[in-house]
Amino acid sequence: MIIWSIAKTTIGDALRKKVLQIFLVVAIGLIIISLSFSQTLSFSSRAGSSTDIMLVKSFGLGLMAVAAWLISLVMGVSLIPQEIERRTIYTILSKPVKRYEFIVGKFLGAFLTLAINVAVMGVVFIAVCVFKAWGAEQPLAREESGIPVVGMQQVGLWDWNMVWGVIMIYFQFLLLSSVVLFLSVVLTPTVNFFMGLGVYIVGVMAPLTETLASPDAKLHVVLKTFYKVLHIIVPNFDKFNITNPLLHPETQVKSIPMYTGIVTLYAILYALVMMLLAVIVFRRKEV
Amino acid sequence: MADAISVRGLTKFYGGGLKGIVAAVDNISFSVAEGEVFGFIGPNGAGKTTTIKILLGLLFPSAGEAEVLGKPAGDIETKRRISYLPESPYFYEHMTGAEVIDFYCRLFRMNAGLRKTKTTELLKRVGLASDGDRTLRQYSKGMLQRIGIAQALINDPDLLFLDEPTSGLDPIAHKDITELIASLGKQGKTVFLSSHQLGDVETVCDRVAIINRGKIVKIGTLDDLLHAGRTVVTLARPGDGLVEKLKSLAERVSSDGELVRFYVESEDKVHSLLEAARGKATLVSVVPQRQTLEDLFVEIVREVGK
Repeated sequence: MIIWSIAKTTIGDALRKKVLQIFLVVAIGLIIISLSFSQTLSFSSRAGSSTDIMLVKSFGLGLMAVAAWLISLVMGVSLIPQEIERRTIYTILSKPVKRYEFIVGKFLGAFLTLAINVAVMGVVFIAVCVFKAWGAEQPLAREESGIPVVGMQQVGLWDWNMVWGVIMIYFQFLLLSSVVLFLSVVLTPTVNFFMGLGVYIVGVMAPLTETLASPDAKLHVVLKTFYKVLHIIVPNFDKFNITNPLLHPETQVKSIPMYTGIVTLYAILYALVMMLLAVIVFRRKEV
Repeated sequence: MADAISVRGLTKFYGGGLKGIVAAVDNISFSVAEGEVFGFIGPNGAGKTTTIKILLGLLFPSAGEAEVLGKPAGDIETKRRISYLPESPYFYEHMTGAEVIDFYCRLFRMNAGLRKTKTTELLKRVGLASDGDRTLRQYSKGMLQRIGIAQALINDPDLLFLDEPTSGLDPIAHKDITELIASLGKQGKTVFLSSHQLGDVETVCDRVAIINRGKIVKIGTLDDLLHAGRTVVTLARPGDGLVEKLKSLAERVSSDGELVRFYVESEDKVHSLLEAARGKATLVSVVPQRQTLEDLFVEIVREVGK
């Protein structure tokens, strides 16, 4: 009950933050604008409707990722320090509230705030994609008795990959917000912002750190160890970047739902570890 | 009567960086009896809020012990019986007054029925019955302070920590809150009041501690501290030898240029002092007086600052 009460007030407070509202509104606006945007920015000389839809999807997912990234970073760095600065924490922790309840409530509140933001953007994004696909056609690619059939066919309105894409974005930034929330227990918001930024950049470059840490890499053993530690500690954000086929044409995923499930589990476990560390540190944190 | 608060050798250091270590609270010891309204006063940065935060378990002491209602400070079960109103409290502005009280009721795991009753009762008690459905964004400073008081009364606490409860309030809100504190004292609640409003402290407190630069410099009942029946004898140009001789008759001596003031407790001592000074210094005045807490406070803080 206490954890849920703290989470609910956190959501209410965070959703009213002007800066977060701006990120959300701008992202939604741009996703809607992408309806016409794709027709003029088509990369193909024979731009068919299916190309437009792909562009809308890539553009929309990219925008959602940027907005979710900003929301998780800006919200995460300030959530706990702000409670101390505004002294709200004094009236809460002077009640029979255990410190872990406060931290878990804050984490839960942040995760749900992010979920609401991503869900709103996701609904708009999917609606835009479905609208774009309405009546769109794509070249027919099938054979009948070994003879290629030429012509056009109706593009499917619904694509589950849109949903998986939105879920992947949510869990990617749930992971980032968990890291930033943990760091906010020990760092000032400004330092935490840049630290969070650094963690995200290193996490996105996980394949590079993995290569640099491999036995084949021609680096000094100390550097190799450094990259190995970095690769292990920093969350692997690259795992979530299968969403944009333009950027990852080599990506081969047998089952998107299964892959999404695995990376979701990875994000949840990592976030739980971050929350546990925050609880441990916060036990002796002076407020 | 048992102690509601017991502090022994409490010390809190801050820093350790380039500025070095600063003792915000320096080896203080005191106790507050159950049912007492205890004033804790001192200039800004004296260590008042640090002491309160240690007693609430928000800060951890560097040395010494602090017990609240017989348990170590910060004990979670004890928090069911205490409450705290911080200086200039902030509550979530998007909530209404009623929602804020409901939120704090939830922190005591109260059920929906009890929460509703408590919210109505407390809003009425602090004079906000008709403003409960307005968001805090629309509240004045006085109204926010009243909400702060209401949240501090949710659990009908045995011990209340009030940090500057009347700071920045208009005279009506000020009077209401001072009366509320006095009524809490009459109900047998223990109140630990930190305030710069020395008039309020003098009105409502049974005992007072004065803290300066992390140390308790005076503690006692108001009658003890304000020296009822004290007389101030002012002499001009007494020689050094005479001042030394007369010091034994006075509780305290202060000097201001050529004037030396002797704070003397009894009438007999006043006579003895005047007799001893006859012909050796100019008598300026003999004034019987009861100090105000403000006089005492200013005097002590200036004395320590010298």
